Amino acid sequence: MILSFNQRVKSQNSYTYYGPLSIGNYSGDASYGFTVISGDTLLNGPFQIKKANLDDLLQKQDYSFDFSGNFKNNYPNGDWKFKFGTFQSNNQSQVVDYQYRVAISGVQEEAFGEMVDGKPNGPWVFSVNKIKDSEISERLFKSNIIFDNGIPKQNFRIENDSLILAGRFLRNGLAHDEWSLYDSFGFGAAENWIFSNGVLKQIVLSIDGTNTKTSIYGNYSGNTTTINLDSQFIDAIALFQFAKSKADDVVGGKMQGLLKQNGAYYQKIDNILSELGKSSFLPEFKVKVPYYEFSNEERELLNSISSNYTNAATISTNFLEDTRLNILKLSNEDAAFQYEVINQITKNFLKPIKRLLDYKNREILEFAPRKELIDNLWPQGEPITVIDVVFEIDEKEIIKTYEFPTTDKFNFSEHSLKSVESISTYALKSLSSIKVQLEQTLLKEQREQELVTIEEQLIFQRNSLQNQIDSALNISPNNIKSVLNTFKEHSDTALSDYSSLKDLETKLNAGKVLLDCYLQLHMLTNQITLLPEQEEAIQLKYQDRIWNPFMATLMDEEVKKRITTAYKKTVVPYFLRQAKSEFKCNQAKELNVLMKATYQRMLELRDQNTSKLERKLRKENDPNTVLELFELEPLTIE
Amino acid sequence: MNNLLKLLFAVGVLLILFTNRAVSQDIGGGILPSESEFKDPKTRVWINTYGNIRISKRLFWIAQTHFRFEETEETPFVGQIGQIYNRHAIGYIYNKKVNAALGGVMRINFNTDESSTDRNVVPEFRIWHQYQFAQPLYNAMIYHRIRIEHRWTQGFEENSDYIFRNRWRYMFRAKIPLNSQKLEPKTLYISPETELIMQSGKAVVGSVMEDLRLTTTLGYILTPRLTVAGGLMYSQGQTLENPGVFKQNWTMRFHVYFSPDFRKVKNKLPSIHLND
Repeated sequence: MILSFNQRVKSQNSYTYYGPLSIGNYSGDASYGFTVISGDTLLNGPFQIKKANLDDLLQKQDYSFDFSGNFKNNYPNGDWKFKFGTFQSNNQSQVVDYQYRVAISGVQEEAFGEMVDGKPNGPWVFSVNKIKDSEISERLFKSNIIFDNGIPKQNFRIENDSLILAGRFLRNGLAHDEWSLYDSFGFGAAENWIFSNGVLKQIVLSIDGTNTKTSIYGNYSGNTTTINLDSQFIDAIALFQFAKSKADDVVGGKMQGLLKQNGAYYQKIDNILSELGKSSFLPEFKVKVPYYEFSNEERELLNSISSNYTNAATISTNFLEDTRLNILKLSNEDAAFQYEVINQITKNFLKPIKRLLDYKNREILEFAPRKELIDNLWPQGEPITVIDVVFEIDEKEIIKTYEFPTTDKFNFSEHSLKSVESISTYALKSLSSIKVQLEQTLLKEQREQELVTIEEQLIFQRNSLQNQIDSALNISPNNIKSVLNTFKEHSDTALSDYSSLKDLETKLNAGKVLLDCYLQLHMLTNQITLLPEQEEAIQLKYQDRIWNPFMATLMDEEVKKRITTAYKKTVVPYFLRQAKSEFKCNQAKELNVLMKATYQRMLELRDQNTSKLERKLRKENDPNTVLELFELEPLTIE
Repeated sequence: MNNLLKLLFAVGVLLILFTNRAVSQDIGGGILPSESEFKDPKTRVWINTYGNIRISKRLFWIAQTHFRFEETEETPFVGQIGQIYNRHAIGYIYNKKVNAALGGVMRINFNTDESSTDRNVVPEFRIWHQYQFAQPLYNAMIYHRIRIEHRWTQGFEENSDYIFRNRWRYMFRAKIPLNSQKLEPKTLYISPETELIMQSGKAVVGSVMEDLRLTTTLGYILTPRLTVAGGLMYSQGQTLENPGVFKQNWTMRFHVYFSPDFRKVKNKLPSIHLND
């Protein structure tokens, strides 16, 4: 609520406000009176807020509204009137009596009546009309309800464009006598609900003069409870019918729709009034329903059923929707069997429980006889612990039986929440145990798939390595050729060693290792093949242009010969020896790194001051010492 | 740099003029024969070292030591020591193809006349300067060398006076690589050369062609700093005593060429490459 300087002092602590105001989605110009008592602002006196925008109307569409009434100590009190309009104009205007007139079309909602202390009192009319060229063209909705301090009483009438509902309440607001719902076009179809003291005894459906009577709570004589006539009541009727007769028909849909429509309009006004002050504007049509109250034990059982169901349903959904399992079950008998058991448990154990829990969540479970309801949830009889499944594999039908291995006794046929709890427990235990088995089956399958992929890669890598070596052989000098030929042998030996393995897990690990080995061999082949090229590059790099005065010619002089000689005579042959020795994957990896680093180091050393190094290299033939002098990490594996 | 080369030339020319005036001597002439007489060829062996020691970007020190042997009656070629040369100079590198040098020679002459009773050893002094031009030709190199020497010699007789002569030398030489496309390390090359040595001076009466040398050597470039070569030279020239009489020689020559560079690396770089 916005209080601005637009206030006029009426008396010591009464004020009037004129100015803009927002109530929820409604923003318009308001004027209202209020008092400030011990710091609290209380609405008091006349209240009005309205909005109508001509520009919007002319351009596209205007949402207008006009609410007016009175407040007393923050409670709506006295006559109130609400108008909501959605209008368009046809942009044609005329001047009548010094006024511009624009014809409008759209929908006008209107409600008026009296409020006492925030509650409707006396007759309230809510109407929705379609307006065409500034005239009412069609009634879309109308409700007449008489309230007594917020409680509907006497007769009421609610109609929309196709249905009319008329009925009567007792003083305490309970539905009473005959409530009639008939087609506003008068085709004779009518639904008569016969209430007695709020209890719906029967529904009489007349079609073309033929009456069909359906007893609802006609013979019921037990405990009842009072609830609102809303969707919950309609659901409760259906559930009661289902428990009594297994009938799944939904009754009262039309009446409920109309009441819901009415409720929505009242809600709209309640929202506005609640935003402003204190009010309770909903018409509460009261009815009585049979009441089978939960015992504490039953409440606990329901919690347990709910949690069992949630866990079991998660397992079942995960597996039934698992694409791997759905494929695997076509070829793997174990998987097919387990899949089918899950399917059966879902259908015969979980689905009815889900329905029960659904009633509970809609808070109607207490309105139907439990025993009959539970009985009807399993129309074929409660499931048993031994689950027979039939499934096909390779176009062959297989019949198998599943039973959860346990010494616990399960009683499924008591028709009580206790037996349902047992069913849910058994379902959860079975699914949990199947889950463990299936996960293993799936893991094994996954491993096998992985192995297939790895083996395909292995073959590919091996072939590609051989091709790489073959093409390298054509261009390599003899010392390198012999190393490359060894690599060929290495790769084949490693593959045949691998293929002699039996255990899946071992194979999988070895396969992964071998793949990496092939990668290392690939790289090593590259490194080795590159050696002549690198030697040439080093030779070029370790040259200086020298002017020979006798020849008057520039000549290339090899410099730092101790370094290049150590590289050529000691380091490279050492690399080749190592590469040729018995194949060790890790060593290949190290050798790759070392060879790469050595070449880089050789290029660096050319430009560094190496006189000390050259001195130390004198007569040094040990490759490891040379590598150390080059500041390189020698191989740890030899 | 151009100026320095010009200066070197100027010093050379001045030296020629000055020495011409300062020293003049009469020598006794013999009777010219009716036709040229050619002495029997002598056989000799020369073992020469040529050092070219780089001392700065443009300058180098030439240090050569030559050992010259000649036949005795019993021993051809290496019978006795004839001369020991000690030749030094400072060279100037104008560019990769042109260089010049100026320096001195101290030569020890041994009396090779077995019948002589005179002194056995006399020194000889020279001032010399030379201008060398190199040209690439296909995969070979050719060289033109002009060397001018101002020479003071004396005979082996006791108390004999120095006589002064100028020597005018032009040498044409080629170096043709045999086993590679250019002159580079590990290359065997063949080097034909011809040098004409003319002389002048008061003591020179008629005998202007002191020596004409025709040589072919075979060399091997071990490294850019070390080359060895060996070859055979035929030479002839007028004797000083009688222009009608020609001496002849067959000389085996063995050469070592070395060109160390003791400069520190940081001084070598980047000027080591001159202008290339």
